[in-house]
Amino acid sequence: MPLTKEDVAGIADYARIALTPEELDEMTAYMNDAIDLLEPIRQYDLEGVEPTFHPIGDLSNVMAGDVPDTSVRALPLDAALRNAGSSRDRCFRVPSILGDQGGDR
Amino acid sequence: MATAPTSLDTLSARQVAAGVAAGDFTATEVARAALDAIERRDPEVRAFLQVSADLALEAAAATDARRAAGEALGPLAGVPVAFKDNMNLVGTRTTCASRMLEGYESPYTATCVQRMLDAGATPVGKTNMDEFAFGSSTESSAFHPTANPWDASRVPGGSSGGSAAAVAAGEATIALGSDTGGSIRQPASLCGVVGLKPTYGAVSRYGVVAFGSSLDQVGPFGRRVEDVALAMNALVAGGRDPWDSTSQAVAPDFLAHLDDPVEGRRVGVVPALMEAAGLSDEVRDAVAAAGRALVDQGAELVEVDLPNIASAIAAYYVIAPCEAFSNLARFDGVRYGYQEPGRATLAEQTSLSRAHGFGEEAKRRQMLGAYLLSSGVYDTYYYPAQQVRTLITADYARAYEQCDVILMPAAPRTAFRFGELSDPTQMYASDMFTISNNIAGNGGVSVPLGLGATSGLPVSAQLQGPAFADARLLTFARAIERALSPDGEGAPVAPALAGKGGELA
Repeated sequence: MPLTKEDVAGIADYARIALTPEELDEMTAYMNDAIDLLEPIRQYDLEGVEPTFHPIGDLSNVMAGDVPDTSVRALPLDAALRNAGSSRDRCFRVPSILGDQGGDR
Repeated sequence: MATAPTSLDTLSARQVAAGVAAGDFTATEVARAALDAIERRDPEVRAFLQVSADLALEAAAATDARRAAGEALGPLAGVPVAFKDNMNLVGTRTTCASRMLEGYESPYTATCVQRMLDAGATPVGKTNMDEFAFGSSTESSAFHPTANPWDASRVPGGSSGGSAAAVAAGEATIALGSDTGGSIRQPASLCGVVGLKPTYGAVSRYGVVAFGSSLDQVGPFGRRVEDVALAMNALVAGGRDPWDSTSQAVAPDFLAHLDDPVEGRRVGVVPALMEAAGLSDEVRDAVAAAGRALVDQGAELVEVDLPNIASAIAAYYVIAPCEAFSNLARFDGVRYGYQEPGRATLAEQTSLSRAHGFGEEAKRRQMLGAYLLSSGVYDTYYYPAQQVRTLITADYARAYEQCDVILMPAAPRTAFRFGELSDPTQMYASDMFTISNNIAGNGGVSVPLGLGATSGLPVSAQLQGPAFADARLLTFARAIERALSPDGEGAPVAPALAGKGGELA
């Protein structure tokens, strides 16, 4: 069953991408085209086939030593803040997380 | 040296480095010649988003000072190199050709970029691309299109279209790109240059903006196979990069076996691929000619089968959008990137920053990924796509029991016109011959084969190989180049651009 505009609006909300009404129409058409392209995946008998999540099969959860890297990779404060749209002192600045209504939307 | 002025158009990377080391010319003269070529040619091609003239001249002066002090020079001493604009280089912006990162100053330098600089390369600038590498034509760049140097009314391919075009136009000797589903090999094919996607893990991705984390790989473009081999040596010389957890140690010498004979070695051909719908006659003929060139040198063609790669595009367009959605969630407009002003709540600021910072295709891919990862849908597409990935990988493993490399097309047809593929899902078919290799994690190289009989535009063949056999791919690529390129010495600079600037004083 094809995705409706309402379905796509819900996905846009989850993906945090505000879409205009025209964009929502175009996106709905695209999503349904793209999902049609994926149809071969549903046609397989995959009983007993293990998934491959990563091309290097035996690689998982590579851990680094629990040692702060303060010399090389830690960005100086000014470099870390330089690309932020809004900052104050040592901090990134954001609007209210809860807003007037108290919920997180 | 000849008495006639020498042009960078005709010098290989090795010749540039040797000339600098011998004192035939200085690295500064080379840098000035490259910047001159960019100034004269790039108004037509628009391969660059940013030309780093100051960095280039600084690096070149440092190379010249090292020579004056009697120090040994690197294997890429003075060689003009361009970097795709998803690679961080301190002193440049890294925009991914997106409004989202329009003013983003690189806070550190990517390992792949640093290793080229450590080998003595001169960084001439950052190249155009499809926004966040989503595309096959470079048309989705938020800033401007890039023209194919062989025909300015056509696209250079993508997503690394700027890097391929810069090399084809003679604006750089070597360029780096990244390849998630064909983004090095397809533009190399359309621009008539060599482009190698190494095995997944061979080149560090630290400092390269992520798209599909189980698929992305960095690799070089050059007009000669040897230049690509030299670049690979520089990229892997430092060994495994501890800052990229997928980085693997790789045998270091890509030059040692470059001119090994291919006699007695086996080249796989997949009949179904050579009959694929959408493959043009001239590309099919060119790939067949490359096969004959290998047979003439004593190689044997063997038929192999890759039954599941017909589903590779479907598997890719499940896996890649999911990984892209996950990676691009970081662009929330807070720590970096476009920030929508004057919003009362974080949620509103985030969704409008993302709406206005990302272009259409970047939104499409993330929306598709968000849907495919949502509850209930995951089991229908995402998990089965990873099982299909197992089948595709097994197909390749079986094929490589019978052959050393597989020969196939890189792109189904030559460069298309701007706007010609306006439907996004139609554009996705541009990568029909390249995508399966990213899914398996293997290496592949696009080798230029001159101009197509019908279109008069660059055609190419692709060689694919097993994991960590990338040096072998270059041996076969070199064998094709020896037989089929002018003078056996690689691809020329596109004639419309050749000779405009770029002369060593």
